Amino acid sequence: MATAQTALYQEPKEELISGSEAIGIACALADVDVITAYPIRPYDTVMQYVSRLKADGAFDFDYIIAESEHSQFEIVKHASAVGARTFTGSSGVGWFYAFEAITVTAGLRMPVVAMVGNRALDDPGAFGVEHNDAMAVRDLGWHLYWVATAQEALDMALIAWKVAEDPRVLLPFALSCDGSFLTHSQAIVEVPSQGQVKEFLPDYKRGTLQLHPDNPITVAPQVNEDWLMEIRKQTDEAMRRTSAVIIEAYDEFKEVFGRGDPSPFIEEYMCEDAEIILVGMGTLAMPTRVAVRRMREAGQKVGFLRIKFFRPFATEEIQNALKGAKGVAVIDRDYSYGSPAYGGVLFHELRSAMYPMDERPVMLNFIAGLGGREVMVHDINEMVETTQKAVDTGRIDQETTWVAVREQ
Amino acid sequence: MATLAVEVVYRGIFQRTLARNIVRQIVFAARKDNKIGTAFGRYSDSPERNGIPAKQFAIVCDTAIELEESLAVYEATNVDVTINLDDAMCKGIESWAWYGLQPINKLTRAGGTLIVTSRQDADALLEDIHQKESAYHLAIIPSTVSFSGLWVYKDDHTDMRVLGTLCKVCPDLVSLKAMKESVDEQTGSDAKVSSVQMAFDRTATRPVEPGEGNHETPFSFDLPGWKNMEEGLVIRAIPEGGGFRGGDEGYQPARNEVFKKWSTRSMRPVINFETCIKCTLCWLQCPDTCFDVTPDGLYDANMESCCGCGVCEAVCPVPDCVTMVSESQFNDNNSQWEAWTADKDSYNKWSTVLVEQQKSETRTHGFHHVGGYDEEIKAEEA
Amino acid sequence: MATVQDLPQIKGVKNIPLEEYYTSGHRTCQGCESALVMRLMIKAAGQRTIVLGSTGCMYVANTTYYSTPWVVPWMHTQLGSAGSAATGTAAGLASMMRKGKMQDEPINVIAFCGDGGGVDMGLSALSAALQHEEYNLLIICYDNESYANTDIQASGSTPWGANTTFSPPGKVIRNMNTRWKKNMAPMMAVGHPNMNYVATACASYGLDFNNKVRRALTAGGPTFIHCIDPCPKGWDYDPKYSHELGMLAIETGLWIQYEIIENELILNGPSRAIAKGIRKRKPVEDYLMRQGRFAHFTKEDIQMFQGKIDDQWEKWWIPGLVPITPTQDNDSNSTSDDAE
Repeated sequence: MATAQTALYQEPKEELISGSEAIGIACALADVDVITAYPIRPYDTVMQYVSRLKADGAFDFDYIIAESEHSQFEIVKHASAVGARTFTGSSGVGWFYAFEAITVTAGLRMPVVAMVGNRALDDPGAFGVEHNDAMAVRDLGWHLYWVATAQEALDMALIAWKVAEDPRVLLPFALSCDGSFLTHSQAIVEVPSQGQVKEFLPDYKRGTLQLHPDNPITVAPQVNEDWLMEIRKQTDEAMRRTSAVIIEAYDEFKEVFGRGDPSPFIEEYMCEDAEIILVGMGTLAMPTRVAVRRMREAGQKVGFLRIKFFRPFATEEIQNALKGAKGVAVIDRDYSYGSPAYGGVLFHELRSAMYPMDERPVMLNFIAGLGGREVMVHDINEMVETTQKAVDTGRIDQETTWVAVREQ
Repeated sequence: MATLAVEVVYRGIFQRTLARNIVRQIVFAARKDNKIGTAFGRYSDSPERNGIPAKQFAIVCDTAIELEESLAVYEATNVDVTINLDDAMCKGIESWAWYGLQPINKLTRAGGTLIVTSRQDADALLEDIHQKESAYHLAIIPSTVSFSGLWVYKDDHTDMRVLGTLCKVCPDLVSLKAMKESVDEQTGSDAKVSSVQMAFDRTATRPVEPGEGNHETPFSFDLPGWKNMEEGLVIRAIPEGGGFRGGDEGYQPARNEVFKKWSTRSMRPVINFETCIKCTLCWLQCPDTCFDVTPDGLYDANMESCCGCGVCEAVCPVPDCVTMVSESQFNDNNSQWEAWTADKDSYNKWSTVLVEQQKSETRTHGFHHVGGYDEEIKAEEA
Repeated sequence: MATVQDLPQIKGVKNIPLEEYYTSGHRTCQGCESALVMRLMIKAAGQRTIVLGSTGCMYVANTTYYSTPWVVPWMHTQLGSAGSAATGTAAGLASMMRKGKMQDEPINVIAFCGDGGGVDMGLSALSAALQHEEYNLLIICYDNESYANTDIQASGSTPWGANTTFSPPGKVIRNMNTRWKKNMAPMMAVGHPNMNYVATACASYGLDFNNKVRRALTAGGPTFIHCIDPCPKGWDYDPKYSHELGMLAIETGLWIQYEIIENELILNGPSRAIAKGIRKRKPVEDYLMRQGRFAHFTKEDIQMFQGKIDDQWEKWWIPGLVPITPTQDNDSNSTSDDAE
């Protein structure tokens, strides 16, 4: 585990760290003011790391161990209201315990940055990765981003504060990090210097919305039906504005730190002439890329589209990425019982996004990797095969496939 | 084929059961006339608060389809009868479901009827009731206001008297025969059925001409749209107060510009500035921050804000120094201290008369002790 | 580093500051003692204060349709969040001031909750907040003995047998609410021994209440005040008796006025006089029969109630810790008045 003295980060430095630690370092570099912790696996590795930062005096912040997730999220929401830069996080049912706080944080326009260590929901208790925890807030006004590597975790954390705190936006930001893969395994990460971060990330200023005796306001008075649509509309407009802010921030990040993808919203891997495109989020990107390379070597025109921002949903970019394909295989590391295709959330959103297109690819849904079960290269091969068959025959035998599930 | 609507305007909590009894009984009675109806309160009036005006409605139709169509507009924009259970509300009402001051007869349709329980006469009430462009009728049930509370009901037959009057002024809504039959079925009380009949017999209506009534423009304001509202659910706080009437001495708080609360009261405190010993208790104990502090250290209850709770009267240690007097005695919200300062003799005479008169009135404003309502009813009957 | 404000004890009602930071134009019931708590609380605290208000009557009735009676900065928080709101606000301010991101000055942080939000749902957050000695904050639990804003339901603070919409007296069961009211202030004091200030209060004793708020805000660290608020709607009485019923609660010994300052117990006002034997407790029947919510009580119910209050005074008061008897010497230099 890296030692946590950011005084060392006078120059960029390579470290061997997990995604959790990377985010912890990002907190130090970003000079976060208030961090709240509560134990639940697997996200809380970030908080164990943060506590060392506190104990070793790596940077100055208030660190509070809350007595529940609900309080954990309420505390940072209120710290954010008085202008403090904040960080918190949770996993699975812990995230759900904080749901009330999570809801109001967006409505109140508090730019809290939270790490969601994606974890299967109870019952039964299981620690492995599933995306339903973070997914559940998709309607409420949070930015939702799915991270694939530890490097991306660090980089996107910095971008998260910048975008969330932008006065044109002021919406919270959830960084979804697949539990275990990102929280417990280690990779080479280039940690930027404090100087670079200072250049990139401005101070958080709430301006006339600041809760302080010099600016007497009442925040969130009671309303009835005559006000609520207008209030919701304001949040809708903020979410509409954030795409442009994200692009701005991402371009600036590339300039300052010298790395980044063509798009902040999606990552296209070998999609240019692909006939079958796989779509997924988070760390399943790795086995999927391996599978795609092998299939390409074997002559198959396959590609992989990684969705990074789930909210805001980059509809136009995604439509452009997929419209040329004949078949699309959506991998959902989540489920939505009773949904139109008895499939997963990502599939339904993508299908909805493709609906207005003149030409639509065949779209199939694959539910895989729930509870941390590994998504294997041969699983991906089968997904492509199934999709290809549907394309060739013009017939869909089964819209949704649960991958690698024991029947007997 | 007809749809008829009744609104009952009442004091929140104090008259909640009374209002509910009335609207429900209308629907039960309508069934006896082979009609169909529904009774409901306004969701935006809830949670009700003591004294804050609220409304319940009864809609009666000949057919189920008519009923459905009338309910598609959730709140009636037009009623055939408005029933006002506290004549102080003739001055207009602020509730949670209406912005600004709503005239008591706002929803009463042209040719409809406003029924008021009151000890005042029509001319006195029409000093308060805002003018309308169309003609309507006014019917008065001679009665003091009937207040109960959440748990214990004062069963003084006010509901029965209202229902009897309703049958007289709007026979198309429900017939007297149906009402009496239904009351008998619902309550089994001959006395209640008699009360319905007696009220029916005694009802007199008076026509009100277009433009007749209070000519003041009721307070109103517009709601901003999302582009003009601040972001982040933020509104500006009330500014800090300052000296009395903008001077250097005393103190006068700034107040909420959009919700005033004076229409909540049915009585207001009359202050005797001569006998006040400046103990501070009325000012200190007022939950509504009503008292301005005058330069001479006296306490002037702001009549735009006072909601008539009576705590000031209860805590004042000097006899007759603060007296709650019926709203019917006043036509404005002017400052008493200013009136007293301008002409002490005149004010003192006027206030003394009011205070004396008030002693002969029974103040009924809710529960006092177990058995209290029965005692009040006996006293009223005597 | 920011410490506490200069908020001296107020000597006499004539010296209570005139400035109002909670003003007219809120949709509370006539005679709402909880509103009076709000008014006196912020009057005592002054302008350099941030108030966090959890959901309840003092939220919904106060910030009527997108307007406000507050002159100081005020923010809504969730029903169970008074503790976490206070902690978060204090932490945000402390961190930013220490790091030079904000001007360093003492700002009062007050979070309020009703009995529903404090005694029930928000108990865990409240308890956690009271452990944070590094933050100056005050949590006021205004207790109108029900979930009042949702039209009166029983909470963990509702008196035994009281009529609420969740505990109506019926044909088969007369007293539905058989839970005895939780002893909140002692529980907080015993559970968080490093707190510098815990008090019970009643807005009927306005000067005492003002001074308790000031003591709490200048004591340093997290502090807690629990006040009894007669509620004309839920308790069912003529609103003008709000002040009187508050006093009656104390004069019957049902509610005990005291402070715990750095682990020393100091009784105030009539409670002190009762403990010293100078004054007899009025029978609780006088109090119960003035309220419609107890109108269904039988003689046995009243006797049982009286017995519990007797126990409270004669057997144990802070459970297992401190009995209060007429012989116990409770001399103090408390300045709260007996006169009201």
